[in-house]
Amino acid sequence: MHVIEVSGLHKQYGAVTAVQEVSFSVEQGEIFGILGPNGAGKTTTVECISGLRTGDRGAVRVLGLDPTVDGEQLRQVVGVQLQEAGLPDRLKVREALEVFAAFYRKTADIDALLDRLGLTEKADTAYKKLSGGQKQRLAIAIALIGEPQVVILDELTTGLDPHARREVWELVEQIRADSVTVLLVTHFMEEAERLCDRVALIDRGRVVALDTPAGITQRAGGGQRMRFKPSAPIADEDLRALPSVTSLSHHGAQIEIEGGQDLIQQVTSLLAHRQIIAGELRIEQSTLDDAFLALTADAQAPDNSPTNQRNGA
Amino acid sequence: MTTTMSARDDAPRRSAPLAPAFRMTPKGFRALVAMHARLLFREPGTAVVVLLPLALLLIFANVHSARYTPQKALGGRTVLDVYVPTFAALMPLMLALTVLPGRMAMLRESKALRRFRVSPVPPAGMLVALLAVIVSLAAAGVVLVVAVGVGVYGAAMPSGLGTVIAAFVLGSAAVFALGLIVAAVAPGQGTANGLGAPMMILNFFFSGLYFPVAEMPHWLQKTGEFVPFGAVMDAWAGQGALWQHLTVLGCYTLLGGVAAVKLFRWE
Repeated sequence: MHVIEVSGLHKQYGAVTAVQEVSFSVEQGEIFGILGPNGAGKTTTVECISGLRTGDRGAVRVLGLDPTVDGEQLRQVVGVQLQEAGLPDRLKVREALEVFAAFYRKTADIDALLDRLGLTEKADTAYKKLSGGQKQRLAIAIALIGEPQVVILDELTTGLDPHARREVWELVEQIRADSVTVLLVTHFMEEAERLCDRVALIDRGRVVALDTPAGITQRAGGGQRMRFKPSAPIADEDLRALPSVTSLSHHGAQIEIEGGQDLIQQVTSLLAHRQIIAGELRIEQSTLDDAFLALTADAQAPDNSPTNQRNGA
Repeated sequence: MTTTMSARDDAPRRSAPLAPAFRMTPKGFRALVAMHARLLFREPGTAVVVLLPLALLLIFANVHSARYTPQKALGGRTVLDVYVPTFAALMPLMLALTVLPGRMAMLRESKALRRFRVSPVPPAGMLVALLAVIVSLAAAGVVLVVAVGVGVYGAAMPSGLGTVIAAFVLGSAAVFALGLIVAAVAPGQGTANGLGAPMMILNFFFSGLYFPVAEMPHWLQKTGEFVPFGAVMDAWAGQGALWQHLTVLGCYTLLGGVAAVKLFRWE
């Protein structure tokens, strides 16, 4: 049985279609990412899964239950962290956890949870006085207090500094280690690449790709790009003749070549054969970032080459 | 049966705003009451609400003429006699029309309601817990003011005690219903105050806080009978038809309560 199953979900707000024909399923124990630009319909999808909204068409099942009908049952076993949610300013960390804990049939130990999330020292601090990272960690703690089978995390690291972000990522990895299924909504490629087993890429309400992060990168070209200054002239035709090469351009004395997976190996062996040295060599592996832009840009602009500036990888 | 089913399925599926809301365990309810009570007492404004009526009472009680000289214009009662119910009325008025809407608007503004909605905490149950805390505080405040006024300073108790208590309870229910309307719609604490404060001041006026009701022109007194705490004060003083005052208060409670539920917004 799939832990989360969304099929043909459709949601319209007036004239605006937020989500159309969205389908995917999430397996037990995986971290599944919903990835997409802002306003792509990620949050609407998650709100339908958490029972805050009902789709116009299509079906949503979480642990076999319909969130709009069996909401009460689901809320006992699904922990949710929402993008837009808060707590009263003067409520203290431990008090917040105690209030939520009072409503679950099964609860995690509050002290252990505080410790695990690095909030022990902040237990008696008012919500207002917490930093952004601490608020997010408290949100995760609240999502975990009922020992859920599924955790939904919406834009978990938005607005966090890189250090706090990494801390939160480690927490998510810990959650998975407890064999809890995680649905992660994000617009950060790095986050999806680091955490997710599989990703649904959503753009303007539709799923445009559904695969592992590596699989999506491959599909969007999976390309490699290299740039170098040859120590001796080499004919463009010779390079173009290599099976992996898809495009070639000159930038002053440098040659930039783009192509498939075997590009680098093919080009370097040709250069070695001719005894040409590749000076100032720079190699870029396209990433999920490139794939994201390629797949979501397809419909937006005629230029759909996966070329964006990104240093190193 | 098939037809009714399909008719239901065709209807746009919307979750009723207050539906699964009140189901909770005693443990859960206690946790929510504890949370609201703590939050309320951490708010500096709460102390003002409770202490202001008491402070006013102490000031009046220590003015010799106010305490001991019966006034003809007040129907032979002392100023203190007249002002004890007025000060007592401040408690439910301030709590119902500013504190309650303000607290609910705060929960809405801080998006806490949204967070509670995705947990097993029933959000409407949460609001009921809030209401319970504030109503208890109002009741305690009224008892305190009357006990100090009558017990310590010897203000006269109203004659028909039963009807007076009924009027006070119903009057409080009426202003709480009005406060709930504001609480139901105000998106933030600013709006909540902007809507609640004028209603509160109107009630203050007709409860005689600024000017004894007995000295108001006749038409103004008549108008006051149709303002919740105007009606309560008349019932306390034994003026006008009791059934009319209680009807006015009942109508406010009923219509206000229905309007609040109809207008209620989570976000």
